[in-house]
Order: sequence, then C-alpha cells, then structure tokens
Amino acid sequence: MLSQCVSALGCGSHYEFGIEDLCLAKFRLDMHELGERHWCSWEDTVELYGRLTNCTNLVAFKLGCFWPNKLVDDFFIRVHKHYFQDCSLSGRLLKDPPNRILGPFIVVPILVTLLMTGLVVWRSKRSEGIV
Amino acid sequence: MDCTSFFFALSPTARSAKYCGEDGQWFRHPDTNRTWSNYTLCNENTKAKLKSAYILFYMAIVGHALSIASLLISLAIFFYFRSLSCQRITLHKNLFCSFVLNSALTIIYLVAVVNNPPVVARNPVGCKVLHFLHMYMLGCNYFWMLCEGIYLHTLIVVAVFAEEQHLHWYYLLGWGFPLVPASIHAVARKKYFDDNCWMSVETHLLYAVHGPIMAALLVNLFFLLNIIRVLVTKLRDTHRAESNMYMKAVRATLILVPLLGIQFVICPWRPENRLAGEVYEYIMHILMHYQGLLVATIFCFFNGEVQATLKRQWMQYKTQLGQRRKDHCSMRSASYTATSITEEPAFMYHHDCNSEHLNGRRAEDSELVALKLGDMYA
Repeated sequence: MLSQCVSALGCGSHYEFGIEDLCLAKFRLDMHELGERHWCSWEDTVELYGRLTNCTNLVAFKLGCFWPNKLVDDFFIRVHKHYFQDCSLSGRLLKDPPNRILGPFIVVPILVTLLMTGLVVWRSKRSEGIV
Repeated sequence: MDCTSFFFALSPTARSAKYCGEDGQWFRHPDTNRTWSNYTLCNENTKAKLKSAYILFYMAIVGHALSIASLLISLAIFFYFRSLSCQRITLHKNLFCSFVLNSALTIIYLVAVVNNPPVVARNPVGCKVLHFLHMYMLGCNYFWMLCEGIYLHTLIVVAVFAEEQHLHWYYLLGWGFPLVPASIHAVARKKYFDDNCWMSVETHLLYAVHGPIMAALLVNLFFLLNIIRVLVTKLRDTHRAESNMYMKAVRATLILVPLLGIQFVICPWRPENRLAGEVYEYIMHILMHYQGLLVATIFCFFNGEVQATLKRQWMQYKTQLGQRRKDHCSMRSASYTATSITEEPAFMYHHDCNSEHLNGRRAEDSELVALKLGDMYA
C-alpha cells in the first residue's frame, strides 16, 4: 500500500511538463483571445477552465498518475494567481497609479488645506482690527 | 497542506487534508466516488466571518441613527432657547448640522449601495455621486471642528475679550472648502481607479480626502495646545477668573479632537490574530459611527449652561402646572419674581457662553462668575 502511494509521487517532472505544454498553452491562448477584462467573468471563463481541468485529468490518466495530486494543485494555484487573483465582487480590481501621479493627488489637497486654514486665521485676525 | 489565502474568507492558518487508504488509493467520497480532499476546515470560519460582517453593518446603522437622534435633540435645544445663543453656539449648530447630514448620507449609502450587490453590479452614476457627497460631508465634519478650534484660538490667543468675529470665513472653511478634496478625489478616482460605485477602500487615492482631514485635525490640535499654553502662562497672573472660564471651554474641544482623530491613527495597524482582529474591528466601528452621539453629548448634554437652562425651564413648567391647579395669587407673583431673577441680561450670557462646563458644575458657579464679570465691566 505504501509503495502505491509512493509511485504517485513518481509522476513528477513528466507530468508537470505534460500539463504545461499540452494544457496550459491552450488555456493561455484562449484566455488571451478572451481579453484581460473578461477574465473575472465566470460565465465567460467556465468553459475554458473546465477544459483545462479535464486536460490535466487526461494527462494524469495517460501517464498512470493519480488525479488529483499535489502537482496539479500547485499548478492550479499558479493559474489562479495569474488569471484570477484580482477578481472581486465589484469587478476586476484595479491598481493604483504610479507614485509620481499619486503623490500630487495627495500632497496638493493637503497643501491647499493648510493654505486655506492660514487664510481663515489671518482674516479672522484682521477682522478684529489686529494686524 | 495549508489552506491557501487567495480567497478572503478562508482561514490561511487552517489545514486541508487528503487521506491515503489501505489499498493505496486516495480516499474517495462515497457520494461522488471521486477522490476527495478535506477542505472543510478552511471555510469553517466563513459563516462566522459573514455573521460578524453583518453585525458590524447593523452596528454602524444603529450608531448613525442614535447620532442623528441626539444631534437633532441638541439642535432643537439650541434653537428653542434663544438665551443660549452666541457665536460659539452658532458654530456648534453648524457642526451638528454637518454631523446630521453626514450620518444620514452614510445610512443611505450603507443601505442602498453596500448592502445591495445588484446596484453595485449595475454601477449607475448615482452611486458615484452618492460617494462624492459622502466624502464631502466627511470633510465638512472635520473642517467644522477645525473652525471651532480656530474660533477659540482667535478669541483667546489673538484678541482676548474681543467683539464678535465675522463668521463668513468660518462658513467658507466649513461648508465650502471640503468640496475641494472631494472633487480632487472624484477626478482621480474616475481617471485611475474607476471601480464599481468607487466602493473599494484598497486604494491610496482615498488619501486625497483623508490627508486633508488629518491635516485639519493636526492643525486643530496645535491650535488647542497653543491656547492651553497661553491660558496657563500668560493669562493666569492677570486674568485668573477668565482663564479658568476659557480653560473649561477649551477642555470640551480638546477632548473631542483626539477622539475624532484616533481612528485615522490606529487604522493602519490591524492585528493579524483572528480574535484581536475582531476586537479591533468592533472598536474601530464604534469610534467611527458613534461620533455624532459623542459630539452631541459633550457639546450639549454635558454643558452646564444647557443643563441649567433646561432645569430652569422645567421648574417654570412645574410651577405653571402647579398654579393652574391651585390658582393662588401669591404663588403667581412668587413665580414671576423667580423668573425675573433667573432671566439675566443678555450680555451676561455672552461671557457665560465661553465657560462651558464639561461635567455640569453647579449653575450657580457660572452665574457667580458672570456676575463678577458684570461688575468688572459695569
């Protein structure tokens, strides 16, 4: 019994190359055609995802490996990290602009606030007749 | 194997498991006859987390509702009792109005947008306008607190015992200026981070609004500390009674400013531990959503002058009721003399307005001080 569990681990690099070349390449092409904006839309991606899953299953069967296994788990986590990481309920998560754009958007309101405060203090001083 | 952390509701510290059976096969689930991994530990906390999110949501709504109620009562008190009104109370009224509007907008936003995924998915322009107004009202809150601080600073440090100030610039700073950070945030959000209904808080563009707010709080704190410094060092020798009076006025504002600001200070430090994280969330929610109640309590309900006025009104009401029942001539004349003694001339209240007692010291104290001042200027 132990030997059979061990032989499952023997499906190492062969299996990995197999799913990378056969399954992931096709998946990559299809997702690229779909366009990054639709990656988070489950209705659009469910079929491609299903095909990828079946493909990994088939390769495992052909190589005599058990399915699912740790390699395919890691593989799918990598796929998710690349394609589905930024998905959220409100749509594909966006990223902040670079610092040279973000900086002024934060610093300018703060400076204007301080200026305005100084102006109000100065004017309320003056309305007392005290310079 | 560790539960992966890429889905927010899964606990990354729990472990998933897969069983190798005696025949060398991975465990197959009896229902589907497919190999099955046990991920149940990963999402056993999801229900608890969702429940906790709902509790926080209802807590926020209750907090804002209580704030609106207490602020409306305070506004009613300030508007009804004309004897209380002076410039500082006018600023309080504006502050309370901004808090009421802020709470109302927050409730509308929470109920109509946050709790409503179909609206978020549809992403109408209205929900972005609502978000813009929400940011504007948030700014108004803190800038009115700043106006209170600047007013006290001008009154005490710059021009002691001065005549009435012109409030136009305060109105501009309190109601007009917050449009600027809110607009800048709206433009930046539209161009660079245009998510549905602008709901995401994961963006640094929010600092376009929170940055000026924190700047206003810091400036306010600086002014208040400066006032304390002046009261303690310069006025103590020359004008002891007045400096005590002003100290009490400042105390209320000085307590409020850190309380309103502390949420921005501890915001970045959410603890990793699950229990500590929940406690942190509850504390943050209480600090954020019960502010209106706190402001109304400190500036109105704990104000000695307001308490004295209410007590006086209550005594009048009771004596009026009493006289209606008994209808004694002597009782009527006695009640008239009582009210004429307690109705002090208006200029007394101008100074009395500045001596806001925090924990409701006896009304007699403030009247004694006012009488003393009256003697000084008579």
